[in-house]
Amino acid sequence: MSGPLRVVHYLNQFFGGIGGEEQADVGVTARAGSVGPGRLLEKALGDDARIEATLIGGDNFVNDRAEEASRAIAVELDRLRPDVLVAGPAFGSGRYGLACELVCKVARERGVPAITAMHPENPGASGARRGLYVVPTGASTTSMPAALEALAPLARRLGRGETLGLAEVDGYMPRGSRRVHDRGRPGYQRALDMLLDKLHGRAYRSEVPYAAPERVAPASPIADLARARIAMVTTGGLVRKGNPDRQVSANAVRYHRHTVSELESLSPKEWEAYHAGYFNHLVNSNPNYILPLSFLRDLERQGKVGRVHEHIYALPGVSTPVAVAAGHGRNIAQDLKAARVDGALLVAT
Amino acid sequence: MISAIYNFALTTGANRVIRGARIEHVCGDPTLSPEKDYAFGMRIVTAALETLTVAVPGPTLFDPMAPGKEAAHAS
Repeated sequence: MSGPLRVVHYLNQFFGGIGGEEQADVGVTARAGSVGPGRLLEKALGDDARIEATLIGGDNFVNDRAEEASRAIAVELDRLRPDVLVAGPAFGSGRYGLACELVCKVARERGVPAITAMHPENPGASGARRGLYVVPTGASTTSMPAALEALAPLARRLGRGETLGLAEVDGYMPRGSRRVHDRGRPGYQRALDMLLDKLHGRAYRSEVPYAAPERVAPASPIADLARARIAMVTTGGLVRKGNPDRQVSANAVRYHRHTVSELESLSPKEWEAYHAGYFNHLVNSNPNYILPLSFLRDLERQGKVGRVHEHIYALPGVSTPVAVAAGHGRNIAQDLKAARVDGALLVAT
Repeated sequence: MISAIYNFALTTGANRVIRGARIEHVCGDPTLSPEKDYAFGMRIVTAALETLTVAVPGPTLFDPMAPGKEAAHAS
């Protein structure tokens, strides 16, 4: 390929030199050439690459008005038509990380290869599981030189139209995609070698990566149940009788919120289960088995529970990718928090 | 989280896990008489509510069917 590699760099308002938290609401602007850490990035990219432009967006703006921000970024990318987009590094900064994830997603949709870098626990890093290239960095800006050093060669290769190699070899976060390749020796030999290594106490590495589940800090206890607002959520596939909302029975891409403020109990005449992962017949005769409204109403009457929240949440929790399920969980939790719910019972079948 | 397959809930990181009856009838048991079914379900739901009032260090199992009331930790 001829000519220098044309790079567009994305930064937040802080690294873009606009200002700190007080400037987090500024919209997306474009500046010619490199800005701030972009100068170091340009150096790391080498002589035959140059940062054509730097896009700068306020962290609040890009997160709170994602559609507007996406449009602005798309317009700039269509105008600049770079070979590759680099976002960040965002290190441990959550909003910046999510903004970098969004910008990479927009670039990818427009056919521009994109890559970002941040701490693996940054919420934006979960974009890796949705196919984005994310280079892991330290949590703070002190790891800037190392981050750019790792980011630059990958950005160059993506910009030249190369497909990157294995995540563990090339140093980006696994994206959960599989490629067929030949390991040279059949599986049984590799497995036996691994077993021998294990038995002899030698180091070995499994070919089946283990994805450790996310740890969530336990919520602090409720001081007084008699004054608490309690909500109910079920992954048992509860639907209104006849499934008028057309929920699926597995791999749900949405959940449903229903109002139960007028109900004393879930009647089998009005509710049923639609869930591909268990025998639904018993729940169809008593839906309170998977959403215990009848019990909570009694406890509410007895003054043992302050108030039963008026909305319930339901979906079939089966065959759902973890990332999708985590999204449902986040959205339901946000909704409950906004409604000042103190505690929730989640019934999982 | 009330679940009959409580080991899944514990190993995947749910912090307050209450053992439910069975997958097909988590909060109750249709093989019992209606009164006993209801009392059984109520025991599970009440146990679940009580877990919300105690601090837990991480994934912790509460078993309303166990003779004692002690909690077992996942680790």
